[in-house]
Amino acid sequence: MKRTTMRQKKIFVIIPVLNESEVIQSVIDELCSAGQYSIIVVDDGSSDNTYQLVDSNIGITALRHKINRGKGATLKTGIVAANLLGADIVVTMDGDGQHDPMDISALVEPIIKGECDVVLGSRCSDTGEMPGIKIIANKIGNFVTWLFYGTLVSDSQSGFRAYSHFAAHIIDTKADKYEYDSKVIREINNNRLKFKEVPVKVRYTEYSMGKIQKQGFVNGIKTLIRMIWGALL
Amino acid sequence: MKFHFYQIVIVGISSIMLFQGIKEFVKREAGQTFVKLMVRLIVWGGMVLVAIYPDFTRLMANIIGIEDNINAIIMTGFLFVFVLIFKLLSAIEKIEQNVSELTRKEAMSELYDKIKSKAEEIGDKE
Repeated sequence: MKRTTMRQKKIFVIIPVLNESEVIQSVIDELCSAGQYSIIVVDDGSSDNTYQLVDSNIGITALRHKINRGKGATLKTGIVAANLLGADIVVTMDGDGQHDPMDISALVEPIIKGECDVVLGSRCSDTGEMPGIKIIANKIGNFVTWLFYGTLVSDSQSGFRAYSHFAAHIIDTKADKYEYDSKVIREINNNRLKFKEVPVKVRYTEYSMGKIQKQGFVNGIKTLIRMIWGALL
Repeated sequence: MKFHFYQIVIVGISSIMLFQGIKEFVKREAGQTFVKLMVRLIVWGGMVLVAIYPDFTRLMANIIGIEDNINAIIMTGFLFVFVLIFKLLSAIEKIEQNVSELTRKEAMSELYDKIKSKAEEIGDKE
């Protein structure tokens, strides 16, 4: 039987960015050295020169939201673009350098083997990498996601994920902000998609922890309200 | 029948609001739905009714089953406010989604242009 390898599959990596001019170039360089991936960077209305920096890279698809629409809307734009460009597998990762591109091969492997449609990168809370407050917030997020969407996962808020061609086409959520990550879990459940969780490394730097638009306490509460509101509608 | 000043004010304001609502609906102005007209009629019509016939609140209290007429009015008011807030938030949500969709289409049009120019480039080379 013919074995399908990573080289035979068109793997698209989508990076949503917002004011990441400080680190985006190093993220792209690291990703390029990690493997042969098609890269789509979607700028969500940055006020700095993030888009110009990304667009100056040859071979990288740079897209831009003229106005800020949120992480979910940005990821959706990236997935729509990847589908249009004929992606076999779509990987999403953060643009602040938190995720290690070397983990992509582990993320896409179960999809290549045909074991599942979606692979969720799970940030290990027991390795000491994750700050205490994030562990608590993550546990609350997991509980609420299970409560509203019926699927219990170990990291419902992780943005490091891989989708098969089928999953990338079928998953459709209207969530624009951070609740997108949880809504994807709902879509997995509603569409009866097979999923797998794979442990991924996470690098909490001073830069990534200091970003105001990250999922902090206030944003976490807003996400929770939007999830409750979404369940009522 | 003796009218108090507050009753005249309430009837005046409510009449203007009712007139505007009916006029907009009849003229079929944008966003004027039957539901919206009904909400206007119930809210402002109810105000006129209560202002002219204060005893109407007792009838309302009896119908709802709450003994005190003022409590019945407040309860009904709260219910209306909640329904209105729900409708408003739903409308905002819908607008937000439309804005995102427009933004996405705009971003994608740049990609279409890039693909088109690339295809033309390849065509020229061939």
